[in-house]
Amino acid sequence: MNLNLDGSKPIYLQVSEWLEREILNGNFGSDQKIYSQYQLAEIFNINPATAAKGLNILADENILYKKRGLGMFVAGTAKEMILNKRKNQTLKRLVQEIVLEAERLNVSKAELIDMIKAANIGEVEE
Amino acid sequence: MSLTKISLLSTVKKQYRYKLKAYVQVFMTLVFLQLLAILFTLNGVGMAGSSSEWVEVDVHYYSADIVVFFTMMWGFITAILITTKAYRNDDFVFITNRLSSNLSNLLFLLTASIIGGLTALLSTYLIKVIVYFFVGQLTIDSTNVVSAPVELLLGIVAATFYIILFSALGYFVGTLVQIHKAFVVLVPALFFGSLFLGAVSGYEKTVTNILGFIFTEPSILLFIFKIIVVAGMLFSGAFVISNRLEVKQ
Amino acid sequence: MTVIECRGLTKDYGRNRALNGLTIKIEENKITGLIGRNGAGKTTLLKIIAGHIKETAGEIKVFSERPFNNLTVSANVIFIHDQMNLPTALNLMEILEAASSFYENWDQALANRLFDYFSFNPLQQYNGLSKGMKSTFHTILGLSARCPLTLLDEPTTGMDAAVRKDFYRALLKDYLAYPRSIIISSHHLNEIEDLLEDILLMKDGKEHLHLPAADFKEWAIGIQGKTGLVHEWTKEREILHTKSMGPDQSYVVVRNDLLEHELQKARATGIDFSPVTPSDLCVYLTSKSKGGIDDVFNKD
Repeated sequence: MNLNLDGSKPIYLQVSEWLEREILNGNFGSDQKIYSQYQLAEIFNINPATAAKGLNILADENILYKKRGLGMFVAGTAKEMILNKRKNQTLKRLVQEIVLEAERLNVSKAELIDMIKAANIGEVEE
Repeated sequence: MSLTKISLLSTVKKQYRYKLKAYVQVFMTLVFLQLLAILFTLNGVGMAGSSSEWVEVDVHYYSADIVVFFTMMWGFITAILITTKAYRNDDFVFITNRLSSNLSNLLFLLTASIIGGLTALLSTYLIKVIVYFFVGQLTIDSTNVVSAPVELLLGIVAATFYIILFSALGYFVGTLVQIHKAFVVLVPALFFGSLFLGAVSGYEKTVTNILGFIFTEPSILLFIFKIIVVAGMLFSGAFVISNRLEVKQ
Repeated sequence: MTVIECRGLTKDYGRNRALNGLTIKIEENKITGLIGRNGAGKTTLLKIIAGHIKETAGEIKVFSERPFNNLTVSANVIFIHDQMNLPTALNLMEILEAASSFYENWDQALANRLFDYFSFNPLQQYNGLSKGMKSTFHTILGLSARCPLTLLDEPTTGMDAAVRKDFYRALLKDYLAYPRSIIISSHHLNEIEDLLEDILLMKDGKEHLHLPAADFKEWAIGIQGKTGLVHEWTKEREILHTKSMGPDQSYVVVRNDLLEHELQKARATGIDFSPVTPSDLCVYLTSKSKGGIDDVFNKD
């Protein structure tokens, strides 16, 4: 398993995003114990403190909850929270970037909407 | 991870064992030097001859004197050697402080001196055997274990203490050199200078007295005592100066 | 618990000042990366911590004791560097045995497995090893000793890329199994940054920046765009690095204290923001001039 370690994103963010994906994919159901910081460190070859930071982000957002001495567990509403977050933050930011780029390239609004529709029909998106 | 507590004594023991193994070359040198000395000895250390019209008598004296002398030199050089950077830094790879390093060096030199003294004196037997087989003629044995066990033992003890004295001297000189390179020149200059000046200024008595103080002591116990005191002073001197010494690459 | 504490630590070699009032604190069971240019004082600091050399002024405590001539410190610290003086009379196996007799926590099984993995010959003499093999052998000593404080000074000198990778992985795995304080100095920050919990950047014999590695990545930000616009954005800030990119384009690195709405506003005007990698940041922070080597060639 490899993260995009030389990429622009901080590693702990990459770790938390990877965990979110794991939860979305259904690899971890609700109330299931998730990887410990040491397991994550081992999987990604990173310092356990960095891995802990990734876990703590999700704990702060209540996607994970802590059981003292036992580790972190997936919250019951984790999936929805992740989906909501992605819609409200990630997708929004991506759309902003698209709009900005379209402006730079003098692509009109209608043209841009058509492009999005075309992409949707072609199932280009993952 | 919890801290390890370690005693000086156990560290010195570990270092001593490690040095016996790691400095094994020193003993190879000893074997080589003693064999060389035996070779020189075979010429005879002393010779007397007389001849008449009918008879010619050649008397050759053989003894381990040259071997002992070579071994003393070996002790001196070995001691200098283990004060050099390459050897001293060996200690700092593993657990050490300057005191434990010095103490284990001292133990090592004492061991080396005993081995040196023992082999030097025992080499007389090798000399005898060689002379018997290769030089031939008539050998008159003056000392051997059966006829004079005490003499042999005393010989070994005396030789060992001479080597200890020389290695103490070597260790001190070597440590001085580690403090400052200038001592490489200063120490021999001081030594020969004092001999020379002593001779010129008429103080040669003082110089010879100092040497005579140790080398002409007739009582073996006093002799041992004097050597222990002098060697002890030299070693402690070396310990004190090297206690501030840093590890240099 | 604090493992290392220095206050105003200073070291002179003759007239040359190697450490100049260094003040740091290193906590237990962290992997700290010691980063800096050649001559910044990294090795000097490690030597003082290991008790090999004595500080000229200031104070240093390792496990709450002064390290010089200290048996407790020596028993709990292993210092791995590329000038290690291993006895020439012993073969590699005998050296490992000697090491195991000294260190209480020594793991002979680990040593043997690493020894085999890196295909060492037990009867080989240390002096016959190549530079990279020597380094590899040193790291076997360093890992197997399991000292509460492990100092690794440029441990990967001469190693090829594959061995370096293996070593980093071995270091991390053994650290996860047996957490301990590790200080590793390296010129390859990009290779080790993910292993690190903290980064200590040294400059001119002093600590320059001592931060969690994660914060290091976000500590600075690169701004690129039309020179005029970029200057507008950077005029109030300390410029860490600057580079001109063609006729009217500039790239400037500043502290990353811009707020989200500022970023959005700037992006809308056509300014690009990019993260600065820790190794680039270290180069910028420790270089003598803001423009780096380009300044040499830019004299009109």
